[in-house]
Order: sequence, then structure tokens, then C-alpha cells
Amino acid sequence: MQTEPVDPAAISVWRWQWAIATLVVVVLPTVKLFSQGAAAWAALAVVLALCGSALGWWWPSAYYRRLRYRIDDTGIVIERGVLWRSHIALPRVRIQHTDVSQGPLQRRYGIGTLKLYTAGSRHTMIELPGLSHPAALALRDSLLAESSASGV
Amino acid sequence: MASEPDFQPQLRLHPLSWLFVLLAHVRHLIVPIATFVFVGVRRDNELWGLITIVPLLVIALWHQWIYRYGFGPRGLVIQDGLFFRNVRQIEYARIENIDVERGVLHRLFGVALVSIATSTGGKPEASIRVLSLDAVQELRDRIFARAARVEPQTPEVAAPRDEVLLHLSPGELVRYGLIDNRGMFVVAALVGFLYQGGMFELMRATVSVWLTDSRLNEFAALGIAMKAALVVATLVAFLASVRVLSIALAMVTLFDFTLTRHEHDFRIRHGLLTRIALNLRVRRIQSVHQTATLLHRWFNRVSVRADLAGDSGAGQGEKQHSQGRTHWLAPVCLPQQASALIDAALPDADLRGEPDWQPLAPGARARLFRRSVYVLVVLAVLAVVALHTLPGARFTVGVVWTAVALLVLVPIAWLRAHIYVRYTRWALTADAILFRHGWLTRRLVIAPRNRLQSVRLSSSPFDRRYGMASVSLDTAGAGGGRDNIHIRLLPLEVAQHLAAELYHSRVDAVPIGARRATLASVEALSGGPR
Repeated sequence: MQTEPVDPAAISVWRWQWAIATLVVVVLPTVKLFSQGAAAWAALAVVLALCGSALGWWWPSAYYRRLRYRIDDTGIVIERGVLWRSHIALPRVRIQHTDVSQGPLQRRYGIGTLKLYTAGSRHTMIELPGLSHPAALALRDSLLAESSASGV
Repeated sequence: MASEPDFQPQLRLHPLSWLFVLLAHVRHLIVPIATFVFVGVRRDNELWGLITIVPLLVIALWHQWIYRYGFGPRGLVIQDGLFFRNVRQIEYARIENIDVERGVLHRLFGVALVSIATSTGGKPEASIRVLSLDAVQELRDRIFARAARVEPQTPEVAAPRDEVLLHLSPGELVRYGLIDNRGMFVVAALVGFLYQGGMFELMRATVSVWLTDSRLNEFAALGIAMKAALVVATLVAFLASVRVLSIALAMVTLFDFTLTRHEHDFRIRHGLLTRIALNLRVRRIQSVHQTATLLHRWFNRVSVRADLAGDSGAGQGEKQHSQGRTHWLAPVCLPQQASALIDAALPDADLRGEPDWQPLAPGARARLFRRSVYVLVVLAVLAVVALHTLPGARFTVGVVWTAVALLVLVPIAWLRAHIYVRYTRWALTADAILFRHGWLTRRLVIAPRNRLQSVRLSSSPFDRRYGMASVSLDTAGAGGGRDNIHIRLLPLEVAQHLAAELYHSRVDAVPIGARRATLASVEALSGGPR
């Protein structure tokens, strides 16, 4: 059975998120170090920031390539992870309830995250990020359509 | 859940409820109160500890005044709330358990604490503290009658008339006490409390007097063998007393442990001072764990626990509390009894006959060993570097010692890898997955396939290098880390197939023919790599 990718617009969302994180973690301390005259440390911080940016450019696209999902008669299978890869298989009768959530950045790009809740004990929430918002809603409806009887 | 607007619950709690509510509050606050009273408080302030009880008493009386329950047309209605009035309706059909707990005081007054649980996880839906026995009986009758279940009347906490699956005699309880080192916790808690209470300061003062005593000179005059013997004797006495404490604890908490089967329910009763009656619905059992520590095996015993979806509520004692939603089916029993119990607990799974145990990936042992060796080498290099850079360190001696440590640890690492791989096995049958692991403490987990919630197949970069993957299974109500089904170091194809098989497990009953077909295909696959 063929797996499907999520919306490519998600890459932009992740890059923005990464950029903001880099800004907060690296750039602000760098400015502070420069102002205090610790130029050597500041240079190191600049190098780190550049590495972070490069990683932040590359990682979302790699993650996007690895993030795939598949809906079949039994339920949904989500594949994700670049280095640590995992396939999560969830029968649709096990879905207790679902969320479709959107942050401000995601709203800007029309991306939504589908969250599936099970009655399990460790992975009670299984996330599928990066779907386009209408697709997330459609996916939710198709998953919920047949999982009427929950039965733990 | 829409509550019936016109229905007003009328029934009230037992007139002495306030006493038990108060006691429950006090029990929650016992540590602060005790600290307040005993520790670090000047003598003239002692009574302040008691004054904290007054607001609790007011709350308890208020609770008694406000609390109402009643049998609505659709469900049990409970009206509660000190400031915010809360009306809760629990549908009859959804009520899974009515657990009853009776401590010494409860029995003295002929009352019981009742917990009502549905299949939702977490806390019980309602804890009714406390009802008279007649009221409990009426509650049971009416709820189970409305739920349209065939639930014959059972005299409240009476002698079981049902099929007895397990009964622990005092002899078994002694064994349980010997195996289970719960006395140790008591000792630790006691030591902690004494330490907090400044008791050690006192002891040190006493001992320093004692040290100057002339009798100590006699001790010093004893031969070395005598001294050693004395030390050993003290140690043995300490260990023995801990064991005796464990046995006493087992006697009190698990006295007259009886597991009976009543139609599709398990009923558990135990306790000497606090009688506990639990109702476990068999269809809520998610997985069963069998554990055998070294001590268990010396006594030829195992222990069996069951994970339940949702919580069976306040009926559980302290120890089950720490284990989350896991309940003893048998704290200790013979291996044969254990397999009979597991059969009874998992009616959906056909566990007759030895399952077809599968090993891990062929390269698993080498991989584990190699990983340990890498870690050891890195540690050794770090040690050598540290010796070299630290001033005043004796370099040659240090290096020799590092080498000796490596020589000792490498065979141990190999043995560890060997034992792990040797004692980790899994099996997939038509309707259950079995996983056993551990050498000193041998654990077996059995989960019916129709109970699984989600399956995860994962591979780290190292896994991919060796062509391996791990499979983990999530069920509702699984306990802590080691009890879960998480199979590492599987060959990649086997792991993929296992995950797919589990994912496509039927949640509902499957015709026999289909089951056999699945089994055959799995066997064909998992037999392959061998």
C-alpha cells in the first residue's frame, strides 16, 4: 500500500520555528557577549548560529521526506524520524478522540496537526504534524467515521 | 452526560460518615500534623497541631450535610460539593465495579467505603464514604438490576460461594513475606523518621558513653575470629528481623487472600485489619504479568499480576497504589496455579501448549557485547587521560589498575550480553503475544492481541547498521517500564512482519479457520531466519 507525504508547506513552518529557536538561544547571547567585549566567545557563538541555521535549513526537508502516513482498512500507520525512525500503527477502533490543532505560524501556512488519542498507557497521544488543515480535518473524519464503538 | 433535571437524589450517607471523612482528611495530612506535633516544636506549642483538625471537622460535617445520592432513571446521581454544587450522573450500564473497603473502624460501626468505577481511567467515578451495609447491598442490587446484568445477590463481603481460583494459606503468606522484602521499606521509613526526629543525635550521645565503657575493652581483647563472628551475627539478626517484619506485614495485608471467579468477574478479598473486597472484570484485563525472582524460584513460586483498563479504585491498598493500575491476581502461587490463573484471566487467548518461542536477532549478542566494550574502552581512555593530566597521580600504577579492570569487566560484559540474549524470547500466537525476559528476575508478559492499542516499530541508526529493529506494544493500563512489551534487537524483517501482524490483529473474535491461517503464516516467517 502506498504511503502519502504531508503538505510541503510544513517545511516552511518548521524552518521558521527553527529560526526563531536559534534566534532566542544563540543570537541574543551573542549580542550580549559582543556588548561585553568577549569577542572570542561571541565568534564561537556566531559559528554555532551558522551551523544551527544550516541544520535548520536541512533538517525540516529531511524530516518532511521521512514523514509519511497511510490509511487502510485497519487504521492509520505513521512513519517518521530521520535518524531514529519509527512506524506507529494505530487501529482505528482504538482512537478515543482526536484534535486538530494549529499554531499561529501553522495558520499562516494553512497547516494543521492531527492528534490521535488512544486509551493506551505510554503513547496515549499520537501526532501527525504537517498536514494541510483541510486534509487534517478530512483525515480525522475518515478515521472517526468507522470507529464508533470504542471498547477498551 | 445530561443529568435529569427533575430528579433529585434523596438518599444520604450513614450518620457517622463525618467521622470517616475526617479520618480520611487527617490521614492525608498525617505527615504535616505529625511533624508539627512531634518534631522541632516547642512544648508549649504542642496543642496547635490539634487545632488544625477543627476546620477539617467542619468540612467533614458539611460534607455529610450536603452529600446526597439517588437512583435516577438512567444512572446513579450523586450530588456533592462544598462551595460549588456538583451533580454527577453515572450511567448504570457504564458502571464496571463496585468496590468495598472495610477497615477495623468500618467493621466496628457496620459501615463500608464504596467506590464506583467505570471504564474510564484514573480515579474512581465516585467514592461514597461511608454507607451502612444495608445501603451497600441496596446500591449493588439496584445498580446491577438497572444495568440489566444477571448479578445475583451476594451477601456483602460474605464468604465466597463462587469458584475459588486461589486461596493463600498462612504458610503461603509466610513464603510471600520471605520472598517479598517489604519489611525493608518499613525499616527505611523508620530510619528516615527517626533521623528526622533527631533520634540519631540521641543515639550518638548514648554510644559515645558506651564507647568509653569498660566492656568495650573486653570486645577489643577478643580474637579477630570472634569479632568477625559477632559482626556476622549482628548482620544475620538484622536480616532475620527484616524478614520477620515482612512476614508480619504480609500476614496483615494479605491475610485470607481469596481469588474467586463469579461468572465473568474475579473477586479478591484480603486483609486482616482492613478487609478489602475487589471486583475485577475479566474483560477489562489488558495484560498479565508473571514474575519470578531468584527467591521465588528457590521456593518454587511465582507471582501474577494483571493490568486493568481504568482504575478499580480506592479499594486498593498502599502497595497496589504505587503500581498504578495493576492488581495482584496471585501475590505468590505455584507455577501450575499461575498458568491456570492466566488462562482464566485471559479467556480470549488460547494458551494451551508451549508457545513457539522465538529468539532475538542472531547478531544481538555480538552487538550488545561490542557496545559494552566500546563504553569500557572510552572509560579506560578517559581514566588514562585523567591520570596523565592530574598532577600527583601515580601514572604507571593507575594504568595497570585500569588494564586489570578492563580484563575483569570485558568477560562480564560478554556474559551479560549472552544472558540477555539467552533469556529474552517472544512468541506470537493466534490471539496473544508473549514476551519473557530477565535472568535473575524472570518476567513473562502476556497480552491478548485484541487488547492492543498501538504498535510501534522503531529503528535507531545503530539498529539499521545491524539490520535490526525493535517492536513495542501499547496496551491500556500497562504498568511501569519493565512490564511493557518492548522487544529490542529483532531482525528487521521479523520486526516488520510482527508489527504488521499485530496491527492487523482482530479486535473482535475471529473464526477458528482464520486464526489457524494467521498462525501458520507467522510460524513460516519467524521460523525463517533460524
